[in-house]
Amino acid sequence: AYWVDSQQKRYVPVKGDPIIGIVTAKAGDIFKVDVGGSEQASLSYLAFEGATKRNRPNVQVGDLVYGQFIVANKDMEPEMVCIDSSGRANGMGIIGHEGLLFKVSLGLIRKLLAPNCEIIQELGQLYPFEIVLGMNGRIWVKAKTVQQTLIVANILEACEHMTSEQRKQALAKLSES
Amino acid sequence: MPGARLAPSGSKLTGHVPPAWQLPVVSVVRDAEAQLLPDVGAIVTCKVCSINSRFAKVHILYVGSTPLKSAFRGTIRREDIRATERDKVEVYKSFRPGDIVLAKVISLGDAQSNYLLSTAENELGVVVAHGEAGARLVPISWCEMQCPRTHTKEFRKVARVQPQFLQT
Repeated sequence: AYWVDSQQKRYVPVKGDPIIGIVTAKAGDIFKVDVGGSEQASLSYLAFEGATKRNRPNVQVGDLVYGQFIVANKDMEPEMVCIDSSGRANGMGIIGHEGLLFKVSLGLIRKLLAPNCEIIQELGQLYPFEIVLGMNGRIWVKAKTVQQTLIVANILEACEHMTSEQRKQALAKLSES
Repeated sequence: MPGARLAPSGSKLTGHVPPAWQLPVVSVVRDAEAQLLPDVGAIVTCKVCSINSRFAKVHILYVGSTPLKSAFRGTIRREDIRATERDKVEVYKSFRPGDIVLAKVISLGDAQSNYLLSTAENELGVVVAHGEAGARLVPISWCEMQCPRTHTKEFRKVARVQPQFLQT
C-alpha cells in the first residue's frame, strides 16, 4: 500500500483512528464530541466498557475522552466509541481531570506513534509521565508536578522543529538542572 | 362557458334570476398546467440530498415521467431500503448524496413531514450514481457498482431497470 505523507494541522476523521475528543453536549442517548474536524462526532453512552441502560457512564460536558471512529466518511456525521470490537476498553474511555491537553501538527503525532520512537523514550528517562496521543493532533500529558507536566509539553511541541541533536542537548540541560 | 360574464352585456342586473339553462358556468383555473402530485403507490424519481445512519433525505424530481416544477422533499427510512434483511442494511452502503433513485411513495406524511418513500423492490433503487473519482458508476450486481476509470467498487442498492427503459 502507498500513501502520501503531508504536513497538515486540520484533522479529517478516518475510520479506526484513535482520537482525543472533548465532550461538548449531552443529547439524550448520545454525547456530542469535538474532535477537531469539520463536524462534531457522536458518542453513544453505551459505547463504554461495562455500560448498560441502567449503569450509565459518568461523563460530563468538558470531559476528555479517548476513543476511535467506527463511522467516518465525507457524507455522514462521524461516530466514535470507547470500546474495541470485543467490547473491552483497551485503554480507551474518559481521561482523568488532571494533566494538560495541547495541540500539535498531525505529522508529529504520526512520528510519535511510530514504533520505537526515541522522543518518548528519552523523555521517559527524564521524568516519569503518562501520555495519550490522539491522531487528531491532540496530546494529553500528566507528570508528577505541574512544572514537570509543562516541561514535557513544551519539549513535545518543540520537537516539531528540533533535530535529534538539539533535542538531546535540551534534555541533557534539563536533567542537569 | 369558461370565461363567460355572469350577466349578458347590455342587460341590467336586477333581482330577476334567469332560468338554469341560461346560467353560465364559472370555473377557477389556478396555473397554466395542472400540478401532478405524488400519490401513494406512485413511482417517483428523486435525488439524494443527505444521508444519516437512520434515513436518507431526497428531493422528488419526477412523478412517473412528468417533471415537477418545484421539488418535493421525501424520506427513505433505513428499514424501507430493502425487502430482505431490513435491519442489517447500512444507509451508507445503499445511497450516497447525489444519487438518482427510483422509489415508491408509501405515505404522504402529515402537514410538516415529508413524503415517505420506499425502495424495497428489485426495480427500485439507485439508477445513476457518481463515484468518488467523479465518473459515472456502472452497475455490476444488485448491491455493487464499479467505476469504469479506477475500477474501484462501491456499494449501492441498485435498481433492476426493465430492459425496455434502457437506452444503449
